[in-house]
Amino acid sequence: MKALEITNFKKSYNGNVAVDDISLVIKPGQFYGLLGPNGAGKSTTIHCITGIGRYTEGKIELFGHDVNDDYREARKRVGLAPQEFNVDIFSTPEKTIDYIAGYYGMRKKERKIRVAEVLEQFGLTEHKAKQFKQLSGGMKRRVMLARAMVHDPDFLILDEPTAGVDVELRHELWDHLRALNKSGKTILLTSHYLEEVELLCDTVAIMNKGKIVFEAPMADVTKNGTLEKKYLELTKDEL
Amino acid sequence: MNWVGLYTLVRRDIERVFRVATQSLVSPWVSALLYIFIFGFVIGKSIDLIAGVSYLEFVLPGILMMNIITAGFSHTSFGIYFQRFARNIEEVLVSPLSYFEMLVGHVVAAVVRALLVGLGIYVIALLFGAAAIVHPFWLVFYIVSVATIFALIGIIVGLWAKGFEHLNVLNTYVIMPLSFLGGVFYSVEMLPDKLKFITFSNPLFYFIDGLRYSMIGISESNRSIGLILIIGMILVLGGIVWRIFKTGWRIRN
Repeated sequence: MKALEITNFKKSYNGNVAVDDISLVIKPGQFYGLLGPNGAGKSTTIHCITGIGRYTEGKIELFGHDVNDDYREARKRVGLAPQEFNVDIFSTPEKTIDYIAGYYGMRKKERKIRVAEVLEQFGLTEHKAKQFKQLSGGMKRRVMLARAMVHDPDFLILDEPTAGVDVELRHELWDHLRALNKSGKTILLTSHYLEEVELLCDTVAIMNKGKIVFEAPMADVTKNGTLEKKYLELTKDEL
Repeated sequence: MNWVGLYTLVRRDIERVFRVATQSLVSPWVSALLYIFIFGFVIGKSIDLIAGVSYLEFVLPGILMMNIITAGFSHTSFGIYFQRFARNIEEVLVSPLSYFEMLVGHVVAAVVRALLVGLGIYVIALLFGAAAIVHPFWLVFYIVSVATIFALIGIIVGLWAKGFEHLNVLNTYVIMPLSFLGGVFYSVEMLPDKLKFITFSNPLFYFIDGLRYSMIGISESNRSIGLILIIGMILVLGGIVWRIFKTGWRIRN
């Protein structure tokens, strides 16, 4: 069983190709890094995997479930922390996370325990009753991560999860992600911090102009240089 | 069926209603109070009985229906538009709720809001001694079904709107004129014969008349036409909204 299988996936916006015929496979338990310059097609791909975006060409499956035809089963297995703060800014972290747990079918008793658990895990307990708009950038990012994890998904998709957070939280988050991956969770990470990807991921793919231009185990990349060197080599025409 | 998910969607929306209660509940109650006081109580004293009931009792169902329509429409149109604007609609899109559950969740919350608005207006009307209910079943039927129709229209408008001003277009140029011309303040008998057909061609007339029948037992329309219209509109609009959620028009990029 593959955690994620993308086959000949294409996506266009008003005639402009955003993702151009990509195929990739992520196995259960992998920590997969997806890199690329802005506009390379990373977020578009993530949106189509999770249901935020629609597509007409290709096939995307999560744990064997087609994300279009069998979307309910597919979505049960995924947690998404997107790049943007797509939250009701007048709601509180506690309520935001509680609603998400509810959408995933968690009953009140179980939800109460689990919400308290993730709030504690991400240092949000004392901020749980504040409005989202009153939180600092780092705290907002923590809410996004707690929200993605509240239903204990098998597959975590983290789109720029450490953008705008301080060094301390970044290190905390890295430890947390390592522990999650060690416990069997599959993680797809996009980041502009190459050292972060190099440090955490076991496999990396680089997208450029809607195509996957490189994919390899991280050990192979670092054996012959650094990830940064490889990245610059493949995307230099964009810089 | 994901019952917990569906309940959560409704609960979230209802909590939002109470978060902005001044606008969502108090405002229609105050507006209805003014209508009842001015049209029903002050002006109504100078108007003879209509079909054997006081003018206040005659206009009350229309005032109630106008507010039910506004509550159902505003709830979904503003709610969906703001969720698109803040992008938190994505929280629902990535969840395992089915498209049908998404549709039902939004509509049920709008109906609950309409019922709360209706209940408040009923209490106000009681204070003025004019809140008869002759057919309770039909009262609930007309409130729930008309709120459903306008909640579905509100979803379409909330998705179609490209700016805040679009949200008011339908309300200002369609719903409000049709409500006023749908017999809220007058009996069809008061109209010249040549103008009666305008009222009979207005769908809102059947909704108002149906509610009037349930409250004071008086009907000026063919109620079967009204029932067919209501059920037909729910089925057609429900199908359109379900299709919109499925295809992701204006929701999924």
